[in-house]
Amino acid sequence: MATALSREDVVRRSGERTSYRFGSPLRKSQRVAGYLFVLPTFALFLAFVLWPILYTAYLSLTSWGGFGAPRFVNFDNYSRMLHDPVARRALIVTLVLTGVTTAILTFLGLVTAVLVNVIWPKVGVVVRTILFIPGIVSFVVSAVLWKLIYDPNIGTLNRLLGAIGLDSLQHPWLADHKTVLPAIVVVTVWGGLGFNMLIYSAGLQSIDPNLYEAAAMDGANTVQQFRHITVPSLRIVTGLIVSLGLLNGFKAFDVIFVMTGGGPNHGSEVLGTYLYSLAFGTTSGSIPQLGYASAFSVVTMVLCTLAVIAQLWLTRRADR
Amino acid sequence: MRKTAFGKSFATFVLFPFCVLMAFPFGWMLLTSLREQNTIFNGPIIPRKFTGAAYHEAWTSIEFPLHFWNSVWITSVTVIGVLVFATLSGYAFAKLDFPFRNTLFVLLLTTLMMPSTALIIPLYLELKSFGLLDSQAGLLVLYISGSAPFAMFLMRAFFQTLPDELVEAARVDGGSELTIFRRVILPLTRPGIATVVIFQFLSTWNEFLIANTVLRNTDSLPLQPVLFTLMGQYSTNWPALTAGLTLSVVPVVIVYVRMQRQFVAGMMLGAVKN
Repeated sequence: MATALSREDVVRRSGERTSYRFGSPLRKSQRVAGYLFVLPTFALFLAFVLWPILYTAYLSLTSWGGFGAPRFVNFDNYSRMLHDPVARRALIVTLVLTGVTTAILTFLGLVTAVLVNVIWPKVGVVVRTILFIPGIVSFVVSAVLWKLIYDPNIGTLNRLLGAIGLDSLQHPWLADHKTVLPAIVVVTVWGGLGFNMLIYSAGLQSIDPNLYEAAAMDGANTVQQFRHITVPSLRIVTGLIVSLGLLNGFKAFDVIFVMTGGGPNHGSEVLGTYLYSLAFGTTSGSIPQLGYASAFSVVTMVLCTLAVIAQLWLTRRADR
Repeated sequence: MRKTAFGKSFATFVLFPFCVLMAFPFGWMLLTSLREQNTIFNGPIIPRKFTGAAYHEAWTSIEFPLHFWNSVWITSVTVIGVLVFATLSGYAFAKLDFPFRNTLFVLLLTTLMMPSTALIIPLYLELKSFGLLDSQAGLLVLYISGSAPFAMFLMRAFFQTLPDELVEAARVDGGSELTIFRRVILPLTRPGIATVVIFQFLSTWNEFLIANTVLRNTDSLPLQPVLFTLMGQYSTNWPALTAGLTLSVVPVVIVYVRMQRQFVAGMMLGAVKN
């Protein structure tokens, strides 16, 4: 409203001869409108994005149980992290899960996109929908669903193995250190593949078909065309998919929290689940360790920032 | 790969079993939800008799309608809130000229990728000090403020596709900036708005971490945290559990199927414009 008034005021005061060409009244109303339009979003951003980031960075330098004042302890939380075997495990598991999942998702995403593109548009819509639906249901739904599949006693996977006579392969999938991480990778890939396929599909459709024709005339076979035309043309898309994969991996929480809670015995503990249990306590009665937990928040934020920088770097390199 | 006959049959040959695998968990979910409770341990893999009893049980015993409406309510308010904030600021960043525009934009942009996993502790403490803990209002504030910058980014991209002359012409005709925005610009950005709505609907409907952390009162919970608790309580009552999962997924699938085109466009834009 204020904008509308100020604009009308300007017109009225300067009468008929106001000319927009002189710029200044228009400029001013634009400036006022600009700030007013941006203000609500920016205020929310300051209060609930920027402030929390700074606050958690501060908390990571304190020791605090949630009552009284936080006690400043310098970098103690970070050095404690280095000596905490669970913290080390969580960091390693986060990095390994992220790396493996991102690699598989990037590769499979490209392969399925190419295949779907070949059969497009005949059955492509159906295939695309099937691949995509796992990505639009919540992580809670997919985690519960897969927990039922992995259940040691009555789980689908073990039952199917039994039904086809492979009883020897039956396994408590989520309760074994060796199988819990691959089991989580499967769930993450299942949920993320559709999105990557979709983005790669869009990338494929934007490649100039003449390139393929020219290459075919020069005698390049399908594999050579794929390697020398498809892959290089998709560099920006790949950069995007890789960095999104890294981001999703670094912030992983829902699936693991619901499926294993970080278990067995911290076997699938990641930064997110560990900081959550430190702060909000899965074991009742323990004092929240908000300072120490915040240090993991900071590590997570640093990793996510690195992922974004990696993407910028990859995109820039691809531009050249 | 070229679209030769061989290529096509090869692709179909590889993709078909793969799709069966990908669809399997959902097929299994439906199958289990239609089973009789006593057949989940040792009954045949494909049940001989189907029953809707589990849906009735999920619907009544966990107060499904209550939590369903909580989800609908929370999601609707978030979508509307985000839309208001994001269209206004996205338009300003795309089409209005004001000092420090780029500085503000970059500031918003750099924190776009900060995950709620990393911010959950300060957000919880912040709501606590505002006395908004355990209230849907507090949850809504966090949802809207967490999503508005990204939605702003999407909307800005849409506004940028509109020619500047459009805005300038409207200014010459003497419209105020707000009038120009409402009468001239908004009607032209329907596709952008549809995209933000769908994207926001999905991410809010599916959000778990924040809802599970800041809400304690069972009656105010949306679906996702309820499904999580249900998993503990109904660890052996799989038909009721899978029925609950199925019901929670229905709106999401309906929205996806009905608005597939905008949806795909939105995902693409969100991703590629980065």
